[in-house]
Amino acid sequence: MDSIQLESVSKIFRHRPALSNWLGHEKRGETRALDEISLRIHGGSVLALLGPNGSGKTTLLKLIATMLLPDAGRVLVGGEDTHSAGPAIRQRVGFAVAAERSFFPRLSARENLDFFAALDNVPRRQRSERIQALLDQTGLREHADTLVMKFSSGMYQRLGVARALLKQPTVILLDEPTRSLDPTSTEEFWNLVQGFRDRGATILVATHNFEEASALGDSIAVLQAGHLADYRDLNRASTRELRSWYLEATGELAALPIAAGGWQ
Amino acid sequence: MSIARTADKFLAILLRDLRTAVRYRTGFAITAAGTLIELAAFYYLSRAIGPGFRPEGVGYFPFLLVGTGLYTFMVMAMRSFVNCVQEAQQGGTMEVLMTSSTSARVVVMLSAASALLGNSVQLILYVGTGVVLFGASMPDANWLGGLVAFGLSLLIATALGMIGAALQVAIQKGSAVLWLFGSGAWFLTGTLFPINALPKPLQFVSACIPLTHSLTAMRTALLQGAGFGSLATEIRVLALFAVVLLPAGLAVFSFCLRRARLQGTLAFY
Repeated sequence: MDSIQLESVSKIFRHRPALSNWLGHEKRGETRALDEISLRIHGGSVLALLGPNGSGKTTLLKLIATMLLPDAGRVLVGGEDTHSAGPAIRQRVGFAVAAERSFFPRLSARENLDFFAALDNVPRRQRSERIQALLDQTGLREHADTLVMKFSSGMYQRLGVARALLKQPTVILLDEPTRSLDPTSTEEFWNLVQGFRDRGATILVATHNFEEASALGDSIAVLQAGHLADYRDLNRASTRELRSWYLEATGELAALPIAAGGWQ
Repeated sequence: MSIARTADKFLAILLRDLRTAVRYRTGFAITAAGTLIELAAFYYLSRAIGPGFRPEGVGYFPFLLVGTGLYTFMVMAMRSFVNCVQEAQQGGTMEVLMTSSTSARVVVMLSAASALLGNSVQLILYVGTGVVLFGASMPDANWLGGLVAFGLSLLIATALGMIGAALQVAIQKGSAVLWLFGSGAWFLTGTLFPINALPKPLQFVSACIPLTHSLTAMRTALLQGAGFGSLATEIRVLALFAVVLLPAGLAVFSFCLRRARLQGTLAFY
């Protein structure tokens, strides 16, 4: 079971206007997306990352996936530093990105998964069986041979999750995984995640949704403007308790995200 | 990484490209028509100029056929590396591809190799059409010599392509740089006319561009039928370019990729 450790991690995005924007309004500057974040996620547990838009949730996931490298501090996955052990870490981390546009539009769902499975070193003999199982689990069986350019947002989201699980990762990163899913699909998805947790995967879920955080998380970290505002173990806290705690942690009613499942 | 696993990945990339190409099938017809029109234009141009014009001692149409065929191949080969990155950036697959279990360099190399395979088929069809349809002949061709020159040219195109891909990652304008290189090469390397028609200073610049030596070697081998003795100088120069540029291309690409991961610009375009 791979634990994840962030040690005083900072990530800064510097803005330098493109040539064509020099005459426009784009200014030089920087955004401190994450500021001195220290966090430890135990192997085989689920951490829910809660926070409003722009709080740094996706940046944190991208740092663990090695899409980004930290400007300061260290990100350790299973004890290995993302700066020096990127390739080894990428073998173990599956990242379901939030972006819909991350597939080849003129390939079917099955063809897309087959392509990514090859890049993720899934043995050829196991590939079709594993792809079929994931298509079933993510509810895409009926659409397996449809070109993905015809997919809806929810279908893209499910396909993104299927792709992340192809290599049977020990660390699973989910960025707003149920944003476009209907309630039934959301519940099925939560069961799927819990199944992976039971099999020992370490899971991080970035979400705005209190209900999702409380349903999935063993612990919750609240991010706000790149800072770790608070952290707590859940022990099955109710959504209402969670909401009060979140408000207390962030201290900002204006930043309160809307929960898809309601506030009760 | 084992050869079998690399071959498996190459096959996956090749299948992706074939499926995508087939589903954009009008592209095939347009490319074929464009090629035929270009060859016809060169054929009638050489007829208009007349048989008296024999650059480097060969007929003008075969001179143009080998020159433009190889030039197009080389530029397309370099562009395939840039395209691989550019399409991934614009299609939104860049970040996902760069964080798969396959290293970014291998993904780019295999994607470009898949495109190169397509370009090679196009080159063969281009020259074949010139021979069959427009009567260009290469009776004394030294095919082995041509193959060696072609192989070395391919390595150089790979190196320059990696540099172009690195620029695409770093400044998102790799295609513009390649366009500039392609335009300069079109003019300076003897694609359309022998380089001794250029002023002396430009002849010196021409000698510094690898494509000049590729064209000279290919024409010497295929059109003049020269043996390896006559090709030795050009082959040595091409080998030197390949030895210097290949590690440089790989190093520049790795550097730019790491920089993009640090700056968070991997998916920018």
